[in-house]
Amino acid sequence: MADRTAHVIWSGSLMEGAGTITSVDSGAFGPLDVTWAARTEDSDGRTSPEELIAAAHAACFSMALSHGLAQAGTPPEKLDVDATVTFVPGTGITKSALTVRAVVPGIDEPAFLHAAQAAVENCPVSQALAAVPEITVDASLV
Amino acid sequence: MPRIVREAEIDWEGTTARGAGVVRAASTGSFELSATIASRIEVIEGKTSPEELLAAAHATCFVTSLGSELARLGNPPERMHVRCTITMDEVEAAGHRIVASHIAARAVVPGADDATLAAAAEAADAGCPFSALIRATATVSVEAVLEGGDS
Repeated sequence: MADRTAHVIWSGSLMEGAGTITSVDSGAFGPLDVTWAARTEDSDGRTSPEELIAAAHAACFSMALSHGLAQAGTPPEKLDVDATVTFVPGTGITKSALTVRAVVPGIDEPAFLHAAQAAVENCPVSQALAAVPEITVDASLV
Repeated sequence: MPRIVREAEIDWEGTTARGAGVVRAASTGSFELSATIASRIEVIEGKTSPEELLAAAHATCFVTSLGSELARLGNPPERMHVRCTITMDEVEAAGHRIVASHIAARAVVPGADDATLAAAAEAADAGCPFSALIRATATVSVEAVLEGGDS
């Protein structure tokens, strides 16, 4: 079992106030500033829950794909993964779109596409986001 | 309201077990973090993981919802602190799954009583898009307590 904890402090109202992701237990990042305006309008250098979800999904998918490729006897040299999360205020998070450009010695395209599909279906963050209407993956070898 | 799109990217070198990745906030450049499988499931060693990023996302989502619910109830908050803990566990026949997210909130809210905060916390959980998402496959629990102000 693995627990991971993050801390946020917010001061003032939603529209006029501001928050800070003060720390995470690993110490890997923080403080990061967040505001409603940055979340829904111009990000202006500030992160948002959706950007953090995108980072989590990209990281999870890259680990799952790397693991699947290694298990199939074709470990990757490099995976370059993007995740784009779409948030519609009032509706919620409607989409997470993954893109992967991969260097995988000795693999053919069908086997790679199969591994990418399996990774997007099985990674724990994809499972946690199962209620998101649309999760897509665009995979290609470079 | 227009759709809002936020992007992140990761470069991963090598296998899951022995390789490592760097995850970046592509939309804003506000963070660039290293991640490894060991930091995800074993010793943290100052590296982040998908679950820690989800904890940060849920804490941030919940705190904005709680602030607007308190304001809606006529008690805008002065200050809120939210701690979110995400738990991943091995589930039989399913492998690693995110099984729980726990929110612990402390708030300085002039003029509010415990019942007001409890109502706002419940509404915030119902309204936070991330709570709604994760509740489909995991347990979400929320506790909220009032704190004294600076006086």
